Amino acid sequence: MTNAEILPIVQAALVDIAGDEILISGPLTLETSFNGDLELESIEFVALAEKLQERFGNKVDFVGWISGKELDQIIGLTVGELVEFISQCLA
Amino acid sequence: MSSLIANGLEHHVQELGEGGVPVVMLHGLVIGSLASWYFSAGPALAKTRLVRMYDLRGHGRSQRAPAGYDTATLASDLLELTTDLPPFDLVGHSWGALVAIRFAIEHPDCVRKLVVVEAPLPPASAIEIGAFLTANPEDVAASLPESLRASVATGGRQAKRLVENVVHLVRDTTLLADLRAEPEPPLKDLYTPTLALYGDRSSCLPAGEHLRTSAPHVELKVLHGGHYLHLNARAELTTAIIEFLDG
Repeated sequence: MTNAEILPIVQAALVDIAGDEILISGPLTLETSFNGDLELESIEFVALAEKLQERFGNKVDFVGWISGKELDQIIGLTVGELVEFISQCLA
Repeated sequence: MSSLIANGLEHHVQELGEGGVPVVMLHGLVIGSLASWYFSAGPALAKTRLVRMYDLRGHGRSQRAPAGYDTATLASDLLELTTDLPPFDLVGHSWGALVAIRFAIEHPDCVRKLVVVEAPLPPASAIEIGAFLTANPEDVAASLPESLRASVATGGRQAKRLVENVVHLVRDTTLLADLRAEPEPPLKDLYTPTLALYGDRSSCLPAGEHLRTSAPHVELKVLHGGHYLHLNARAELTTAIIEFLDG
């Protein structure tokens, strides 16, 4: 799967979790950050990870990926980093 | 799994890992959610065992509740949410730690080991830690803990949602009255092997010593940090929990 194919799946999952208004500043790009731009709450990020896990299955280990990161790295995550991670797992 | 009913309320549940002695993790009130553990010790514990985390009633993605923030009710939620588990280890932060203590006293056969992180004693001292609980709605943001103030300073979505939730819990529920009325737990009856973790910069610290001298099997460990150890001492907290549960 290409990044261009994964991005809309992430966007749909995000809207499912946080509602349409999360895209108030426009559609997601790879540069959009979850904390700084979207201001997603940490508990919403948990729900997003679960939704993407259901969608992509065990090949994608979100929790292992997150647990290897420092807290400020998690807070600074961009949509691009998430998409790239998913793409690598599926490759 | 993502949703279970306890006492008629839908609870948001997340599980990580499998096998081993299960661990159930409880977060603190108002600004806490299962994310407190999901982004700290949860994943590391899940490497060797099942970890079950859930949002307390009225918190995170669990159903809102007008009442029942006392430890008796929250411990009864916990009982309903763990009926399928064999004896498990129990970890709680702040008010969640008081719920864990109560549960371990009431159901000693259900709990193998207990980790208490920053339990406020006497219980009503929780209100002083959470200065935002008694702030005017317009001052809530300014009285939040330092770790949250940065995100709130933007005045954006996170700030609005956080403040809205604090105001809801304080104004529309019995939370504050429940905190004030909470009795001291009968610590002499706590026989579960317990690790108490406190922060050296936390106003809760004296409660750690009180816990150690009042209950029969409490080991006290002081970490470098404040009340929110999962944020400001994430790695040390995780290591201490794993060493105690594996030891």
